[in-house]
Amino acid sequence: MEQMKLLAEWKYTPAKVHRGYARQYLSVDLGKKDGVFTCETHPVSDEMIEKFTGGRGFGLRILWDKVTPSSKWNDAENAIIISGGPVCGITQYPGTGKTYSVFLSPLTDQTYNSNAGGYFGPFLKASGFDAFSVSGKAERDVVIYIDGDEGAVRVYEWAPENRNSYFVTEALHDHFSENEDDKRNISVVSSGEAAEHSWWGAMNFSFYDPRRRVARLKQAGRGGGGTVLRDKKIIALVVKKRDFSGKENDPADLASLQKIGAKLHLEIRQNDDTQSLMRKVGTAHLNLVMNDYDLLPVNNFKFGRSEDIHNIDPDAYEKLFTQGYADGCWYGCSMACAKAVDGYEIATGPDKGKKVTVDGPEYETAASLGSNVGIFDPLWTIETNYYADHYALDTISLGTGLAFVCECYELGLINKEHTNGLELKFGAKDDLLELIHRMMDGKDEFAAAVGKGIRKMKEIFSEKYGADRSVMERIGMEGQGLEVSQYRCQESVAQWGGYFLTLKGPQHDEAWVIFMDMVNKQLPTFEDKAEALFYFPNFRLWFSLAGICKLPWNDVEPSDNRIRYRGIEAAKVPEHVQNYLDIYTAVTGKPLSKEEMILQSERVYNYERVFNLRMGKGTREWHNIPDRALGPVFPDEWNVRADYFDGRLREAGIAPEGLPVEEKIVKLLEYRRKEWEKLVDAVYKRRGWNANGVPTLETLKRLGIDFPEVVEVVKPHQ
Amino acid sequence: MKFLKPLLDKCVMCGACMSACSKAWAKKDDPEMSRISVKNVTGLPDIRVCDQCGGCIAVCPTMALQRDKNGVVQIDRQKCTSCLICVGFCPSASMFFHADTDSPFKCVACGICVKACPEGALSVVEQKKEG
Amino acid sequence: MITVNGREIEWRQGMTIQNVLDECGYTYRMIAVWVDGTPYRREHFAATVVPDGSEVQALHMISGG
Repeated sequence: MEQMKLLAEWKYTPAKVHRGYARQYLSVDLGKKDGVFTCETHPVSDEMIEKFTGGRGFGLRILWDKVTPSSKWNDAENAIIISGGPVCGITQYPGTGKTYSVFLSPLTDQTYNSNAGGYFGPFLKASGFDAFSVSGKAERDVVIYIDGDEGAVRVYEWAPENRNSYFVTEALHDHFSENEDDKRNISVVSSGEAAEHSWWGAMNFSFYDPRRRVARLKQAGRGGGGTVLRDKKIIALVVKKRDFSGKENDPADLASLQKIGAKLHLEIRQNDDTQSLMRKVGTAHLNLVMNDYDLLPVNNFKFGRSEDIHNIDPDAYEKLFTQGYADGCWYGCSMACAKAVDGYEIATGPDKGKKVTVDGPEYETAASLGSNVGIFDPLWTIETNYYADHYALDTISLGTGLAFVCECYELGLINKEHTNGLELKFGAKDDLLELIHRMMDGKDEFAAAVGKGIRKMKEIFSEKYGADRSVMERIGMEGQGLEVSQYRCQESVAQWGGYFLTLKGPQHDEAWVIFMDMVNKQLPTFEDKAEALFYFPNFRLWFSLAGICKLPWNDVEPSDNRIRYRGIEAAKVPEHVQNYLDIYTAVTGKPLSKEEMILQSERVYNYERVFNLRMGKGTREWHNIPDRALGPVFPDEWNVRADYFDGRLREAGIAPEGLPVEEKIVKLLEYRRKEWEKLVDAVYKRRGWNANGVPTLETLKRLGIDFPEVVEVVKPHQ
Repeated sequence: MKFLKPLLDKCVMCGACMSACSKAWAKKDDPEMSRISVKNVTGLPDIRVCDQCGGCIAVCPTMALQRDKNGVVQIDRQKCTSCLICVGFCPSASMFFHADTDSPFKCVACGICVKACPEGALSVVEQKKEG
Repeated sequence: MITVNGREIEWRQGMTIQNVLDECGYTYRMIAVWVDGTPYRREHFAATVVPDGSEVQALHMISGG
């Protein structure tokens, strides 16, 4: 391995974690390409805990002080802040190793927060830090290493022959370990070469798999965190913590934690095989279901199902995923959804011929680098999944972005000359893979343009290639600059909001209410939809404060859940919600009710909204929604479900008889835009925001976040 | 492979085995810390004790569960992170846990309870491995 | 006629819960079914007959990503 040159070193006394908090965070600054490195530890106050809880809350709070309203994502002062939360790092309950990374995003020009598993979060906390902020820019590529036992932070200069994730991760697990057993005491956060050009740069968080004897990668994929990492000339962040016992959080009541955890393990063992099949197929079990309900994105979200679905259904993937391994991404996760394909021989590109372990694909990747680009070939998906992780490109943005490119190509908005010889139609396996390879070094002008994301692509394609901007605006599936994730929200008014009335962009971690709305019909009025779009984003945000994974919440349910509870109550899986309240109390010693849980989230939800306002976004005009997300745009989309859409027109009080399909499309979209505005009004009101989407002073006061700097931002908008 | 074999119809539910086990392994006379569990269920003994089936081995994230030379499944405490997945996945519910111990615990066929049992209801059996 | 999640569908003599789900295209695994307020487990779907005029609720648990 190339020499690592020690540039700076600081010693610290690792704080003892008590009741889930170390009460300290680490701030490393790499200077302004001048080699001036600083390293400071800061206390975490009672107020910070009370108002921000942890995880994403801490990340936002710390970032607020690092940047100004005029800061750009590639300014030195932009920071990446990684934080888990008070529950992060327990081992007894499934899904408790999650961390959030907060930073200013190149795609959205406001804050982004990205979720990842792996061992970094728990090890970071056990090393004595509730959060780790890294800002500034180095002159030459560096690795920042935290040794949580020694109490040392070191910056090394390192110029590896290969800057891509699998290579970097494996090399660093090797370098910092004394032997095979020691490798699992390390976690690496890395990105890849593509992140040096594309704004879709992902961050990979590692954990070492002792059975497979390889480092596995979980992605903090979205928002361009990897792009920021590489902009700072950071090759990797590494943390090492030995002898993890599962008691590092010094919980107030270990006995309760153990009881609740053991209960969930048993529940998963008994029910997973007849419920979500997470242990067998991971989230890829959703492919078939989504297809059956017209929710699977096919050809840039034009269609919701395909007759080729059986090539990529759970049976197809079960054959490819190695069965029977302990596939949790943190200790104690019996949901074990981190499936992998072992011994896969790479067919293309720089790693051609290598036999590798490919992490995933998860549902998002199976659909984005699959049905959404018109490809129903698991092996193609696995190959592109590997390279996307390795080069470090967010597979969701990549897939949705490529789907946009394919449709532009098929519509003749761009051509083979613009693409430098690639015929980028839907289903073009070879050419799409070639485009991804070209995105690695960014030298190809077209590939570099694609990597900037859909919002920028619309600008570039219209300016450079004369592509029709208005058509691209209709079909480009992005919101606030972020590409849409892999569910078709068209037929669920509530999910329009679930995607396009979010804080950070159309990522489904705020709300997934499609079944509740579209199938169960549990949200008939706008007030009902608004209530769901108030409750679920706040409920789900809580996981990002505590350090918890959402899957064990509702991808498994107790056998008696639907006997004891009805309707929406059953959908909330009350027993599991109670588990989380009990776990929070068992760790922190503080009581927590369902109402207080939502309050903790509401504080951070509104603080993030104000932060985005501070960065020049965060008002109604930025909550854009493209036509494709609201309904059919072209006749083929209407005609494939003509009766269904005619029915929708009738419901809207418009008679379809005698109308040409183009006119029907226009009329339905017109109607749905009006419905959208009504939804926006209802949701803003329920959230305690004014009609422009700005939190009112009353809301801020009620939540106790009416700090002077927050009030200063919202006052002009009241 | 060695394992502890209980005979239900000889058990009188006196608790001597649990006492002997917990005193030996946890230095405390406490049935909660015993690696054999004997409960009175409607007047009949419900005995849970590891039969070395190995069902827990595959689910452990750190490979802390391995068979020793006698085929007995042992817990490597250094590797164990006390996640308790083995507890939830044990086919015979014979992996136990307690807040006072660093990791879950199970029968390792040591034979101490065999000597303690007044009714001869327990024995350590040697079974040839299949195949 | 029976209603499923508020929507009217044709009833047939001997129609079971499974038939109802198949006709609606409800193939999702985590569905909770109530017929006139009585809950039924998945293993009983194929054997439970739905009477004419019933109100069926086929609630899909949230799941999703």
